[in-house]
Amino acid sequence: MMFLRQLRGELRKLFARPRTYMGYGAFLMMEILILVVYRFTDGEAYMRDLIERNGYQSDIYFSSLTLTFMVMTISMALLGSIFFALVAGDVVAKENEDGNLRLVLGRPISRLRLLLVKYSAVAVYTFTFVFFVGVSGYLMAAAAVGRDGGLFVSEPKMKVFAVYSQWGEGMLRLALGATGIGVSMITLSSLAFMFSCFRIKPAAATILTLAILFVDMILQNFPFFRPFEHWFITWRMSCWIHLFEHDIPWARIVESYSLLFGLNLTFFMIGFLSFRLRDFKT
Amino acid sequence: MLHLDSLKKSFGRKPALDDVSFEVGEGEIYGLLGHNGAGKSTTLGIILGMVAPDAGEARIRGVSVQRKRAEALRHVGSIFESPSFYEYLSGWENLRILASYSGPFDADAAREIVGRVGLAGRIGSKVRTYSHGMRQRLALAQALLPMPRVLLLDEPTDGLDPEGIKWFRDFILGLREERGMTVLFNSHLLAEVEQMCDRVAILKQGRRVYEGRVSALAEDEKIFEIDVAPADRAVGVIEAAGGGMLSPGRMSLPPDADPSAVVAAMVGAGVRVSAFAPVRRSLEDLYLEMTR
Repeated sequence: MMFLRQLRGELRKLFARPRTYMGYGAFLMMEILILVVYRFTDGEAYMRDLIERNGYQSDIYFSSLTLTFMVMTISMALLGSIFFALVAGDVVAKENEDGNLRLVLGRPISRLRLLLVKYSAVAVYTFTFVFFVGVSGYLMAAAAVGRDGGLFVSEPKMKVFAVYSQWGEGMLRLALGATGIGVSMITLSSLAFMFSCFRIKPAAATILTLAILFVDMILQNFPFFRPFEHWFITWRMSCWIHLFEHDIPWARIVESYSLLFGLNLTFFMIGFLSFRLRDFKT
Repeated sequence: MLHLDSLKKSFGRKPALDDVSFEVGEGEIYGLLGHNGAGKSTTLGIILGMVAPDAGEARIRGVSVQRKRAEALRHVGSIFESPSFYEYLSGWENLRILASYSGPFDADAAREIVGRVGLAGRIGSKVRTYSHGMRQRLALAQALLPMPRVLLLDEPTDGLDPEGIKWFRDFILGLREERGMTVLFNSHLLAEVEQMCDRVAILKQGRRVYEGRVSALAEDEKIFEIDVAPADRAVGVIEAAGGGMLSPGRMSLPPDADPSAVVAAMVGAGVRVSAFAPVRRSLEDLYLEMTR
């Protein structure tokens, strides 16, 4: 109960800060831009052509669900990462920089509990943000092309291709996929959270996180790194795409999420130990 | 109520505290004085468990802060110099969030405290719109929210105007009167400490160089302003009486010395005494002597 009260306070702080909403605003703008360009240029023709070349009826699969899937896959890895790194990188380091932590640490709360509360708030933010992008993307796509239709999924890099003709089934997979993205993105937030616990500036925590993420993504794209792709964090984080396959490869997904969970725990513990050993002078 | 046992702390090679011990009794207001870097804030940090001592421990109501921090701080409220709140939240939301780290939030108790610190009309406004004085009042409200038995104040009146300082002093003295609250008060404002505290300790380069009752300052030694010639002959007489020169024109005598006998001895030794006037020894005199 006490933990929930503290978490509510932490979320109140998080969602009261204007920079928390930068991500929401940026995603809304981007979604609008994608849909406008898509609707009023030859983007629609391109998609219909792609669907029909694969032997499917574009009237069924060119839909709000397909558009939402595209928005989420393309935008989340790049733009989402920036905002998760920004918010999680701030959560401890910014409070320390601003002096708020002194007031909190003068209270009878252990440092472990304090970090658990903050980490939980970051995880909630990450998850809700992914769902916000999904829901807002869907609403805009539905406004642009109508709510009916199936789901067309094509992700060549992870070798996933699937179609769902029924709206209900497609929506279920989309919701499952969004859950998977949310869980994956918590690893990125955990990395930024760890840096935030160090004695560094909030901006440094964000930059370090993004540097690691982008190096991981860049190296993964070199052909001669292909045999080692399963060692890359971002490759493991992409495992949610398999949730769209007709026969979901649960073993592969559980393996990747177990590894990511281990990483999250490691990042948290390193952050905690660094935080635990620090002196906070009044 | 508050016990500090042989605290030692170094930051790198720089010693911050060297074997500092003192006790503060229930209902007592204890002042901690010293230059910047003397170790006052480090002492407070150790009491709050924010700084880990290299040796020694702090106990609050018998519970070790270093071993059972949460339990030890359950009845402690603290205020820091220039407290930093969440600027983008209202004063009320700040109180609610900070209080959640101590236990359940009692809205009625919070409203009563907010009224007492004089923030009732502005508690719903964002903290970024508060003046320095209002922030200090909010800091006081958040410190009082867990209904503490011990209050730790680190330079709480820094930057306040004279009315604000007086209000703060009267408020703290009222709390002690009402609730028997124990207060550790760390300040540069010697006049404030003198008016508020029962006892003081002076820290110098991490060591405690003085501890005593404020009311006993005048009794510890007798201080006189003098105008005598020749000075070296007068110093001989003063030292023979157990006293000494504090500064040119200012001398001290032990509490049991008879000033008139000393004047007679000086005159007898051929010293011309143009002026010999007792001076009340202030905390400032003591502080300057101890830290010089």
